[in-house]
Order: sequence, then structure tokens, then C-alpha cells
Amino acid sequence: MIRYVAIRSLTAIFLVWVVVTLVFMLLHLVPGDPAELLLSQGSIAADPAAVAALRERMGLNDPIWQQYLDHLGGVVTGDFGASFRDGAPVAEQIATRLPRTLEIIIAAAVIAAAAGIPVGTYAAIRAGGRVDGFVNFLASAAMSTPVFVVGSVVILLFAQQLRILPAGGYVPFSVDPVQHLKLLLMPAGTVALALWAVIVRMSRGAVLEVLQRDYVRTARAKGLGRGPILRRHVVRTALIPVLTVLGLEMGTLIGGTVLVEYVFNWPGLSGYLVAAVDARDYPEVVGIVMTISVIFVFLNLAVDLVNALLDPRISLVRR
Amino acid sequence: MTGTLNRRGFLASTGAAAGALTFLGPKGLKAQEGQTLRYALSTYPPSFDAWASTGSAAGAIKLMIHRGLLSYGPDGALRGELAENWEVDDEGAWVFTLREGAFWHDGSPVTSADVAWTVTEAQKPDSAALFQAQLALITSVETPDERTVRMVTDRPLATLPGWFAHYHMPILKDGEAQDSLIGAGPFTFDSTERGVSIRLGAFGDYYKEGLPKLGGIEAIVYADENLRVTALEAGDVDLIEYVPWQAMQQIEDNSSLKLDAVDGPFMYLTFNGSRPPFDNPLVRRAVAHAINRDDIAAAAFYGRGGSLAHLPIADASEFYQEDLSQGWAYDPEQAQALLAEAGYPDGFDCVMLSTAQYGMHQSTAEVCQAYLSMVGINVQLDLPEWATRVQKGNDGQYDLAVMGTTADNNDPDGLATVLDGSLPPSFVRSYGMETPEISDLFARARATFDLEERIALYRQLEEIALETTPMTGLAWRSQGYAMKSGIEGFTNLPGQLTFYSPITLEDVMAG
Repeated sequence: MIRYVAIRSLTAIFLVWVVVTLVFMLLHLVPGDPAELLLSQGSIAADPAAVAALRERMGLNDPIWQQYLDHLGGVVTGDFGASFRDGAPVAEQIATRLPRTLEIIIAAAVIAAAAGIPVGTYAAIRAGGRVDGFVNFLASAAMSTPVFVVGSVVILLFAQQLRILPAGGYVPFSVDPVQHLKLLLMPAGTVALALWAVIVRMSRGAVLEVLQRDYVRTARAKGLGRGPILRRHVVRTALIPVLTVLGLEMGTLIGGTVLVEYVFNWPGLSGYLVAAVDARDYPEVVGIVMTISVIFVFLNLAVDLVNALLDPRISLVRR
Repeated sequence: MTGTLNRRGFLASTGAAAGALTFLGPKGLKAQEGQTLRYALSTYPPSFDAWASTGSAAGAIKLMIHRGLLSYGPDGALRGELAENWEVDDEGAWVFTLREGAFWHDGSPVTSADVAWTVTEAQKPDSAALFQAQLALITSVETPDERTVRMVTDRPLATLPGWFAHYHMPILKDGEAQDSLIGAGPFTFDSTERGVSIRLGAFGDYYKEGLPKLGGIEAIVYADENLRVTALEAGDVDLIEYVPWQAMQQIEDNSSLKLDAVDGPFMYLTFNGSRPPFDNPLVRRAVAHAINRDDIAAAAFYGRGGSLAHLPIADASEFYQEDLSQGWAYDPEQAQALLAEAGYPDGFDCVMLSTAQYGMHQSTAEVCQAYLSMVGINVQLDLPEWATRVQKGNDGQYDLAVMGTTADNNDPDGLATVLDGSLPPSFVRSYGMETPEISDLFARARATFDLEERIALYRQLEEIALETTPMTGLAWRSQGYAMKSGIEGFTNLPGQLTFYSPITLEDVMAG
């Protein structure tokens, strides 16, 4: 187990390095000059002398390998540098923004799992029935509707028509907890909808498959009640693939809540990344991508470990 | 206070207030002083650098915190701010007399030393100031006393006061950092949540008696234009900038909201003059005559704008020339004749640069593409994201390109940035397109103080521009602010000055 964790961790670190290097190279390959962009806001011609002075200040005139080593050195020591635009420390900004994105994702995952696993299980028990068909239809619809459509409709309904929720924005929990939760509701609900569909489908399929296993038939044959069979033997086993998918989906969401954050004006990490790429703010982009890749890689590791705990038959060591 | 107001609380309190108002009478509904205005910004300022060109949203924040020597009033006329008087002395130097009673937010008085320091710092080559190159023409700044600043220039400069009225050229206190938030403006910086909001309070020692009328401003970023409108409609904010064109009608139709829009910014085409076919003025003029501009206003701006078939000089300007206003009018036959004369009777293939990041740029390009194909010019669109588009524009990697901007102010000198090919390459003007006569006329008009003489020079300049077509105007676009109908005192400044409008926030009262 320890050996496995060590190997996986080393692989993870290697993967993160690959990602950071790739992002650094790609950023410098695509056209767009951070100094020029900063000084030409509002489509105003920037003075070449001013751009040159700013490039020098940003360290963009150093040889590319030196910029890379500086970046890497910073990343290793946890110092992501400062924003090209206003000098704000990147690590501090990530520390502020990441929890907001995680908040949406976790809230969405909780809503989706709480509503998705029971519905999926029920649909599996009634496989082929009318309820099953209806659930399948709902899940397909939820999965195929883009988040920006769901988001816009939700805003139209709850903010503009019913006027029971604010149109979007962010208030820190410490400032106004009630308003904070109100503002969280729509973005989290929007993300949860697609996630719910995935979970319903996964849990329905997994439960259906487990229901046909021999040991379930045996349990039934020895007279065990339906409830205990479902709880102890079916759902527990069926949860493994569901949790795996949920974990992976959550990892993807860390960099993928861009549209939701944009539509609901939620100042999270994804929106921060898009703004940073737009402005070619290299330290910010590298810092954010690094953070996301670290989380993603280690989330995968965590999913593997949780699976092993749920089902001891999953061997961690390659035979 | 307003930040914690929620929808239900709002409904309950307005219900109670409505009951109370029945007894108070209509007087109680009027706009009041001392309120906090919730202002929806289109983007968070990329930096607070006072002198760098950091966009109009940053400009709005600067206009709340800082003040320059001059500014523009609601009618668009130049007016004094920190300076109460400005004139040219017998030796041709500009002399500014500062007003008494102006203070920095830390309580110290604004003096001529602050102005001199500002000019000296901003004219340094590494200042990254928008006006660095212009300020470099000031050879010395003298401060004979605490209230007098004398700027000596190496040549006569009629346009110098305009620089000091720009929102990217405020005066900073001697020794402050370039991104200092200590200003002499009507609002003091209180706090900010980076990327989210900025809170400002009223400055009690502001030099204008009785202003600001607001108790403070909470500037909240709503990057999505549709959400910005929704937030206004839902009552989450009081005033929004950059109203999307598609929403203007619905705001006008809403009795609890009002729209203030002016035609200011404009769309135009730039050319790559460093290679065929657009190094030929006949071909450029053919393009100018080939496009029906009414369709651009309709397609890109939902009819909120107008055709622009001459240089971007508004018809309200004293420099406007009625007889030249249709100089590039839609005339496909003339376009074809010009193409034939240039040696392209069957047209040619070319690449038009625009961007997919902004709908108006893409729609404008698509309309141009359609009309150019009718005269035989086969246009392939290149629509990268904005940063790449800027780079390609600077490097001349295009044949012709769609651009949109505003001039620095309503003086035609503000168009030099678009027209003067002797300036360094930039995506806002044509690439490799020097027109010495135009550069010369700009320089002469800049050195001329007599209005009639300047009008004559700019007329000559426009005639040459229509003939040589170093760029071609396409459409004016409407620039709007929308607010609750109870907001009083906010004015959208005319023409190119629209982005200066937040200066009127000092007069605003919230209902």
C-alpha cells in the first residue's frame, strides 16, 4: 500500500511538471503580448516605448529558458509570483478564489449525489417500467442541456420573473451568510443538474448489474429481506463506479465551471483562469493551471484509495 | 448597508415604505443625497495605474477617485478642475492657475509642486503613461508659486489642455506611487475585493461645494453584459455601463429604468499598405464605396448606431463638414470602376482580420465580407481571439481589418491615433500606410491656436483622407448607460467623450 501510494505520488508530481511545462510553452507560443494588451485596453494605441518599458519590468526580455527556470523555481517553492497586471500575489489570489469554486462543486456534488443515487437505484429496481423511462428521459434532457442555457433560464425564472433570488454575484459568507447561500444556490444547482444526470445513469446501471450477480440471488434464496439486500449487498457495491465517476467529474469541474461562474458572476478559479489567459498574464495562468492539475491528479489518487477501502478485493499492487 | 439588502427584505421594507409614503405624499419619492450608488462595472480594472491606458472601466474608477487639471462638463465643453484657469502666455507656454481649497484624500493641499512632479514622472520613458510621448514635448515645468504651473513646450501646442482633461492623466500627489489610490476626487477608496467589487466613500473635503451628493459608491463587476442588464432589472444595481445594444429597447420600454445613449465610438476598416493590393489608394477607395453601412448598424448594433461614410467627426462638432459627409458613400458601380482602374477588373482574394471574441467585430466583418464579394473581392475572414488579433494587427499580418475605438476627445486631433501613419505601427491604424500630407496637417493644426484656421486645416485633412483612404469609416455605435429612473444627475457625455461620463457621478443622487 505504501509503495503504491509512493509510486502514484511520484507519477503525480511528474504529471504536474509536464502540465506546467506544456502550459508555459504554449503560452509563449501563442500570439499576444501581455504588456501590449495591458496598455492597449479600450483599443487605444499603446506607445512602443511604454510597452518596451513594461516588458522589461515584467521580465519578458529575459531569455525564454531563464523565464522558464524562474517560473519553475517559484512553483517548487510555492511562490507563483505576482500578476503582470497589478502585481497582486498569485498564490494569494488562488487561495481566495479556489475555495469559491470548490464550494460550488462540492455543493453541486452533494445535491447531485443526494438526489441522484436514490433516483438511479429506484429506476434500476423498476427497470423497464414507466418510472424508469421517465427518469431516463429526465437524465438525458439534463445531460444534453448546456449549462449556459440552464443558467440563463434559471436567472430568468428566479431573478427576473419570481424575483426571489439575486441575479448573480458574490458576497463572502463572513459578511452575510444568508445572502451568500442565496447566491450559491443557482450556480450550484445549475452544475448539479448535469452531474445529477450522470449519477442517475451510473447508479442505475451499476445497481442493475449488481442485482443480477449470483451472491444477490443467494442472499435472496437464503431469505434475506429486500431492504437489507439492497443496502448491504447491492448499493454498497454499486457505489464504487458511481463514486469513481463523481470524483473524476469533480476534478474536471475545477477548471470547467467557467461558464457557470461567468453566467452567475461568481468570482471563482475558472473565471480567473479565463481572464488571465485573455490578458496573457503568464504567472497567473501557470499558477492556476498548476493548482488545478495538482488537485485533479491527487483527486484521482484519492478515488483509487477510497475504492480500495470500499471493496478490499481491489488490489493496489500490480501482480 | 445596501450590500446586505436581500430581495425579501427589500420587498418587506418597500411595502412598509409604500404604506408610509401614502401619508408622506410624493415628496418622499424624490432622489436623496447621501445614498450609496451600486454601479455595475463591465470589468475589473486590470490595474489602478493612474496614467496607463487601462480601459474605460478603470477610467470610471479613476474618475471617482482622481481629478486632473481639467475635465469636460456635461455639455462636452472643457472646464477647470484642479486648475481654475489656463492660458498661453506671451512666450507660448501654457500657464495653469490652480484653484484654492483643493485637498488630497489625506488632508494635505494640492499644490503646483504636485502638478510639476506628475508631469515629470509621467514623461519619463519608462512611465508607461498613455500621454508619455506627448508629455515628453514639455521641456520644463515651472512653479513660480504654490498655485501657478507654467509648462514650456518645444513647439506651440494648442491641444495640450486636452491631455490634462483625460481620465488617464490625473494629477497625483508628489511622491505617491503610480497606482496610488489617494486622489483629490469626490470619492475616497475604501476597500476592494479583487475582481469582484470596489467600495468608495464620499470625500468630505472635496473642492466643489456640496458635492458629491452620494454617500458612497459600490462598484460591482458584472462581466456578462446580459447579467448586467438583469441585475439592473432585478434591482441588484442602480446604474450600469456598456449597455448591450440588444437590450436597449427593453430598457427604454421599462418605465422604472432609463437609458442614456450617445453615438461616440466608431467602427472602421484598416488596411495593410505595405503590400498589394491595398497599397493602392484606388483599391482602398473601392472598398470604402463597396460597403452598405446601414446594414452594419443594423446587423452589429441592432440599429443602435449609424452609417459613417467620412472621418469620425460628429455632426455636432464645429469641425464637421456637411459636404464631405458622404465622401465614402455606398456606390458599388463606382467601386467596380475604381477596381478596374487599379488593374483589378475581376477583383482579387484577400484576408480580413477581425475577432470572434466580440460579436460586433465579427458581425461587422461578415457584413463587409458580403458586400465586398458583390464587387468581386473575395474575403476570407480571420477571427482569432482578441489578444491574437491585437498581435496580428501590430505585425501587419492581414490585408484589411475591422476595428472599433473612440478618439481621445472630440477634437479632430484625437483622430491622429487612427489616421497618422507616421506614428509607430499599431493595430488601431493601418499598417505601413504613411500619408505625409495628413501627418503634416495634424502637426500644423496642433500648433495653430486660431479656431477658424484649425477648421480649415482639418477640412483639408479630411479631403485628403477621403481621396487616399488610409482607413475608412463604417459605423457609429451607440454607447449607453442605463439606470433606475430615480437616479438624477448622471449624464452621458457627447460623442467621443462618452467614457468620461463617470465624472458626473459627483452630481448624482440616488432615488
